[in-house]
Amino acid sequence: MVLNPKFKQVFILSTAMLTFISFWKAAAVVLCDMGSSAFYAGGIAMNAFGPAFPWYILAVMIFSGLMLMVYVESCAMFVRGGVYKVVNEAMGHSMAKISVSALIFDYVVTGPVSSVAAGLYVSSLLYSLMPLLHINWHVPPNLFAVFFAVAVTAYFWRENIKGVEESTDKNFKIMMFVTAVGAVLILWSLYTVYVRGFKLPPLTLKFTPESLGWMANFPYLQTIGLVGIFMAFGHSILALSGLETLAQVYREIEDPKIKNLKKAALTVFLFSIIFTGGLTFLASSIIPPDLIGGKYLDNLLSGLALELQGPYWARLILQSFVVVSGSLMLVGAVNTALVGSNGVLNRVAEDGILHDWFRHLHTKYGTTYRMINMVAITQIGVIILSRGNIYLLGEAYAFGVLWSLVFKTISMIILRFREDLPREWMFPLNIRMEKAYFPVGMILVCLILITASVVNLFTKRIATISGISFTLVFFAIFQISEKMNRKKAMFYAQNENPEEKLNLRRATDIVTVIPELDKPRKILVPVRNPNNLLHLLSVLETADDTTTDIVVLLAKISKGVESLGESDTIMIEDQELFRSVVLMAEKYGKTVKPLLVFSNDPFYSIAQVAQAAGADEIVMGVSGSTGAEVQLERLAMAWGMLKKADVPAKPLLARVVWEGRQMTYQLS
Amino acid sequence: MIRQSDGVSLAAIIKPENVIFLEGALSKEEVVLRLTEKIFPQVSGLISRKALFDRVAEVEKLNPVLESGFYIPHAKFPELDEFHAVFGIVPEGFVDPATGLKVRALLLLLSPHKPPFFQRHLNMLSLLSQTFQAELIDKLAGLKDPAAAAALIRSV
Repeated sequence: MVLNPKFKQVFILSTAMLTFISFWKAAAVVLCDMGSSAFYAGGIAMNAFGPAFPWYILAVMIFSGLMLMVYVESCAMFVRGGVYKVVNEAMGHSMAKISVSALIFDYVVTGPVSSVAAGLYVSSLLYSLMPLLHINWHVPPNLFAVFFAVAVTAYFWRENIKGVEESTDKNFKIMMFVTAVGAVLILWSLYTVYVRGFKLPPLTLKFTPESLGWMANFPYLQTIGLVGIFMAFGHSILALSGLETLAQVYREIEDPKIKNLKKAALTVFLFSIIFTGGLTFLASSIIPPDLIGGKYLDNLLSGLALELQGPYWARLILQSFVVVSGSLMLVGAVNTALVGSNGVLNRVAEDGILHDWFRHLHTKYGTTYRMINMVAITQIGVIILSRGNIYLLGEAYAFGVLWSLVFKTISMIILRFREDLPREWMFPLNIRMEKAYFPVGMILVCLILITASVVNLFTKRIATISGISFTLVFFAIFQISEKMNRKKAMFYAQNENPEEKLNLRRATDIVTVIPELDKPRKILVPVRNPNNLLHLLSVLETADDTTTDIVVLLAKISKGVESLGESDTIMIEDQELFRSVVLMAEKYGKTVKPLLVFSNDPFYSIAQVAQAAGADEIVMGVSGSTGAEVQLERLAMAWGMLKKADVPAKPLLARVVWEGRQMTYQLS
Repeated sequence: MIRQSDGVSLAAIIKPENVIFLEGALSKEEVVLRLTEKIFPQVSGLISRKALFDRVAEVEKLNPVLESGFYIPHAKFPELDEFHAVFGIVPEGFVDPATGLKVRALLLLLSPHKPPFFQRHLNMLSLLSQTFQAELIDKLAGLKDPAAAAALIRSV
């Protein structure tokens, strides 16, 4: 890349100071989203086409293995191999906008479907417990689920505005708990089957008028067996949600990346087969059919716990565990949806296809709150409109899931013929051609997806209408935003100060940057919030530009899927921060060296950069959450931990500056 | 060689009688509680039991475990005039819920909460983090005797 020397440069250290996660944790993150569908997919499928549902849920789970392989290949090409990046690369800008609209629809419905499902599970538990406590409980489950879902969404809305990160450790713990509960449920179910006998579910499909949708107008099509199979498959496909998360966590997976990604994908696949597929089968065998279609339709696994062989009190305890584990997983998926949609909207905004108005940062928390507000308000609207009807939500959900997968797979097929995109791993079943591998296997997967998607367009009236409307509205927003942004760019092109632009230069290590710090004195200024740069101001006011290098460091916490996106540029809020820094430096006529590092511990990164650069001083702004003393203590510990016993470190002044006050101490 | 850094020394705070081995599977809270019990006699004339336990329980959640797997729960009290410490070795280790890091050695540090003392407090934290790296922690976890542990620390 040729850099414009007029523009300020932001160094991005791409490999340093990032903690990578094991394939177990990566799998846990994906499963927290994908595995949550086990709690509602069976009931929705049962409602659509009757007692044959376990076969189709299992088929979808087997199909998930194929889709996971498509994702592994996309990650083998792009470090951030999500839908937007892949479709943009293969099919161009417009198709990328359509696919991302479908993906946003997926995220917008993920929250409501998960939170309403959690509400229905909690409600089922309350119905079991309340009579024991002699409490007369009369709130209809759907109404309770709506209130519960709105409360959960509002909670995570607030958390996301505050910028609270998603933790892979939390996901891992939730998955451990869910696995333990799932194992007990499976073992107990097997015992029940041993006592009562096992009956395979029927293969006959019994569609309701609702699940036939517009297909009811084409009775001759219903007589074709394959059409019926695809209709049922399409009604079960929502069990496939959450695959996009695999592309999002890939960047964090530890080395060897592809090998570990494959392990993570295999773990996800096995868990999905056993947990979602296996439990749905067991539920259909153990729960009487009238109850599956009745009181357990919205809470199938809760019903399974209650219908097992054993004393009532023990089944009630198991039901409690099932509800708690399910709710944790489902509620986590609500957060993942908000975080994911915000991440995707940020990426498209970086590409200029979302109006700058959406990129406005929260004055206190520095988050893109307008994007979060838009998604959260839409989600709450969807919850209220659904009136807690999980079937309705599930049907709509499948639209976004399927179409984003269709775009992704078509793009992956097209990219097979691009020679400039080498990949470490390929989806199997290929024919070697002159310069490429003809993807027979992937084309078969794509045909299944396209057929299911087209059939779904006819069978799911509400999903088709709402999905297409939503996608078109979002596509229109992207089109209009892009035009407005282009106009604005042209208007400012002649007048703007080129110094306000930022060039991004990637360096693998701080050592690359050090030779450019050639002045005798060096001050390191960590920054985080564009509204809290008082400490930088104090440095700019006093530092001598001829003798002092001022390194402005943003130690970006990079942990969990919130930091992962699909473009190679830095986040909008980081660019805004650096623009503020550069403007402030220019005002004082001082040169600053902006630097961004990814890290799971900002103090560790500050100390590491300070020691590598041989800094004389670190000047920090006060943190509202911890206070100056705690900041200094953490810095002292990080400083000591990084100090080599045999290398005398240069003593350093650590200063914390805030309104009218400062604390200065030495780190030795 | 006794480590010393600008007026702070590990030898002064890590004596054999201040070293405790904690066997078995314990949680972070349990370990910190045991260390607080152990340190209480050192400061009982100055700080009430409730104030000590409340403050340590508070900082136990705030203080981060270091990447090296060493943990320094530390609290400052205006009633104190010098450092007080208890060094814990947990051979089985415990996993820090916040970071997932395994901790096998930790030091509960009580410091005077007085502005002139804060520089020494920072020096002590820096010295502790520098000294207790993974290699030393491995060696300490293999020992059985507080005197041997104190001697090993002094020799680093």
